[in-house]
Amino acid sequence: MISDTKYLRNIGISAHIDSGKTTLTERILFYTKKIFAVHEVRGKDGVGAKMDSMELEKERGITISSAATYCEWNGYNINIIDTPGHVDFTIEVERALRVLDGSILVLCAVGGVQSQSITVDRQMNRNKVPRVAFINKCDRSGSDPYRVVDQLRKRLNHNAVLMQTPIGLEGNFSGVIDLIGMKAVYFEEPFGEKVKTEEIPPSLLDEAMNKREELLDAASMFSDKLMEAILEDSVTEELIHEAVRKGTISRELTPVFIGSAYKNIGIQPLLDSVINYLPSPVDIENKALDMDQEEKEVSLFSKPDAPLVALAFKLEVSPYGQLTYLRIYQGSIKKGDNLVNTRNKNKIKVGRLVRMHADEMEEISKANDGDIIALFGVDCFSGDTFTDGSINYAMTSMLVPEPVISLTISPKDSKSNNNVAKALNRFIREDPTFRSWVDEESGQTIISGMGELHLEIYVERMKREFGAEVETGIPQVAYREAISRMAEFNYVHKKQTGGAGQYGRVAGFMDPLDEGDYEFVNQIKGGVIPTEFVPAVDKGFKSCLKKGILIGYPVLKVRITVNDGQYHPVDSSEKAFTQAAVGAFKQAYLKAKPVILEPIMKVSVECPSEFQGNVMASINQRRGMITSSAEDGVFTTVEAEVPLAEMFGYATALRSLTQGKAEFTMEFSKYLKVPKSVEEELISKHKER
Amino acid sequence: MEKYLKISPLKILEKSSHKELGKGNLGVLISRAGVGKTSCLIHVALDRLFRKGKIVHVSLKDTPEKVISYYNVICLDVFKSLDMEDEQEVRTFLDKNRIILAYLKESFELDRLSKNLKNLTEDINFKPDTLIIDGFDFEESDSNAFEEFKEMAKEFQIEIWFSALSHRHINKVNERGIPFPCSNFDDLFNLIIQLQPTQEGLFLKLLKDNEVKLTSDITVRLDPNNFFVIEQ
Repeated sequence: MISDTKYLRNIGISAHIDSGKTTLTERILFYTKKIFAVHEVRGKDGVGAKMDSMELEKERGITISSAATYCEWNGYNINIIDTPGHVDFTIEVERALRVLDGSILVLCAVGGVQSQSITVDRQMNRNKVPRVAFINKCDRSGSDPYRVVDQLRKRLNHNAVLMQTPIGLEGNFSGVIDLIGMKAVYFEEPFGEKVKTEEIPPSLLDEAMNKREELLDAASMFSDKLMEAILEDSVTEELIHEAVRKGTISRELTPVFIGSAYKNIGIQPLLDSVINYLPSPVDIENKALDMDQEEKEVSLFSKPDAPLVALAFKLEVSPYGQLTYLRIYQGSIKKGDNLVNTRNKNKIKVGRLVRMHADEMEEISKANDGDIIALFGVDCFSGDTFTDGSINYAMTSMLVPEPVISLTISPKDSKSNNNVAKALNRFIREDPTFRSWVDEESGQTIISGMGELHLEIYVERMKREFGAEVETGIPQVAYREAISRMAEFNYVHKKQTGGAGQYGRVAGFMDPLDEGDYEFVNQIKGGVIPTEFVPAVDKGFKSCLKKGILIGYPVLKVRITVNDGQYHPVDSSEKAFTQAAVGAFKQAYLKAKPVILEPIMKVSVECPSEFQGNVMASINQRRGMITSSAEDGVFTTVEAEVPLAEMFGYATALRSLTQGKAEFTMEFSKYLKVPKSVEEELISKHKER
Repeated sequence: MEKYLKISPLKILEKSSHKELGKGNLGVLISRAGVGKTSCLIHVALDRLFRKGKIVHVSLKDTPEKVISYYNVICLDVFKSLDMEDEQEVRTFLDKNRIILAYLKESFELDRLSKNLKNLTEDINFKPDTLIIDGFDFEESDSNAFEEFKEMAKEFQIEIWFSALSHRHINKVNERGIPFPCSNFDDLFNLIIQLQPTQEGLFLKLLKDNEVKLTSDITVRLDPNNFFVIEQ
């Protein structure tokens, strides 16, 4: 292992489904001698490619979970996070992209830039990930790398520049021309292990010269030295590499490589490009949030002797127990170290420290800044930050939004019944926005999360990963109730049915609260309610907030002020005052003109600009309020606020409206009063129940 | 909401011939860099919004998030200063009647804007009264561009307010007293207002009022902290 962080690359391999990404990863592991045989994704040999560790992935030939692996190439250490390629599994992609420093964007030489490539590329843009592009499947019928480069420029807005040209195409694809070294490169032996360079075939020389000119033009924008060298005709390979690296890291240039992973062509030069052009951890500025300074952003320093900051970005059940994948941002971790979880301040002792290679592992004793490693038996959630305890930093905000949608689930059979609990336990750890509980009244298991798709993914995972098949109910929006005006109460709870009686009078008023969900104001004077009974009054009111009278949802933003009351020296008790508060709440609540609040989501839709009108119309139809629309040449981002209740089925609707070329994200924004018509409908449904 | 109109920088128009810019017309707010063009332009938008109009704010330099944050900061000043009780309600009202269109990475084209306005009108029934265009490069433009804007203003029955950047080192004014870079196409604008920082304070000065020949200075003094009109 190489210890200097400069010689480390943390990369992802991102692409749309079926662009050959898993085959490419397999070949990379083969050439870097991490594996000694290659298999097909949908392998006839029944082994399957190395990075597809989950059952579902093997079955579908796609990669859902981000397994991490590492390899060495020319004295450099490369950690590869295999990012998912399916558009629906974006939580996994976003999480993987968080820990990457660079990425290979894989494109199909036949299919070109497809809607999923657009999605994946946008995700990388959002996470500011520099990338090199690899146009795969140049051996396939209909392959045209030049067309794909053009699409990269026009459809993805990349300043894409070819670093190679093909030698033959489709069935005749036999190698590439390296436009920096100006040599023809061929890949021999059964699996292309032997790289052979020759002179460029004369018939391809003109084209290579033209493309080299384009490359030099593009690269010289990032280096005055190269610009001068071009004028003086003294260009060196180092100058070109340096300029391309600068352009790539600043994300202003995308070097494009070509090949065929399946035919073992072009993989080694792509590995060289990872070393030459993608950043090391020291080239990237990472930030954390200082929890001691109200989550103020602070810079991290990629140094092994700095205080430790590491992010748990993935949890995985392995045959050896729970594995926690960590990215170390600064400092180092070694066996026996004590780590502190920023979220709950729990201390853990590092037992086994491993590097993962898909399903296999390698035990190590120490890992430094920049590295990606895995720990065994760590009790934590995905997204937790670990430090050495000397600082209180978090890599992600500790503010976890409340779920806005819920769904009942019921196991289809007894086997599923057992596995559901295991699955839910796992998911809760992986994702803090996912919750699960058993409803006291109905006894049903309820899952809740941040959107319809969010929950659908977990239901699918229950089935695939845990063999738990469940039936789901209709998604329920987390409505809330709130009062809209002040109302007074004066309630006497009196019960005399033999034995000790119950007596308590509570008087005061309730009014809407601007900030916070509940406030209890004690303005009792002269001991009209004895101090020992005041908490019982508070408890009584609080119990009423769990279920509003209007439609049975929790009540928010209410202040209760108690300013009068009465007690009985014998018959008053905590229970009596709790009951008095419940009666007082019921007495005043409807007078306080309660309203129903609904969750409003901040929705962001990215689409090619020609679909802006369609997207806006679709939001408008859903009671949405469009706040802005931003164009950047090719794409438009429409931002809007839309009631969650109207967002069911939006993914499907958006797909059909935009030929699958748009994607949307949404997050909870606020609660707002529902319109009168919706309110009436909800009340009537509640009454029916 | 009437309270705002008393402190609005557009009070200057009370001294103008038509008291407003008017549909189908172009207006421009001109000033040097860093004086507060964008803030002043947002007050122009607020003035229209508080008169129950609808606004499309077109930004050619800033992202929507940044524009929204400008609005939020200025609104906060307004709410504080006017001691508004129904702040949340007013905010919701303003948000409902304002849409921001941003054209980033030099992606602005008049045809695109026209198409987007059509989308707003036809697809979501949002018919703006005023278009605010911030960041349009007057120096790189010719009168054809403004003629097309004028056409657009007529077609959509809107008024369009621009911001224009003047330079300290270019003192050139045309024979009608209009400074560079508006001097070449001032005939296409109905109202031209200059934001002027002086030693005495910050002033808005009316440089062109439709076809009226201005015989005396029409100015209002602004509070440099929040651009509210200071009664003199």
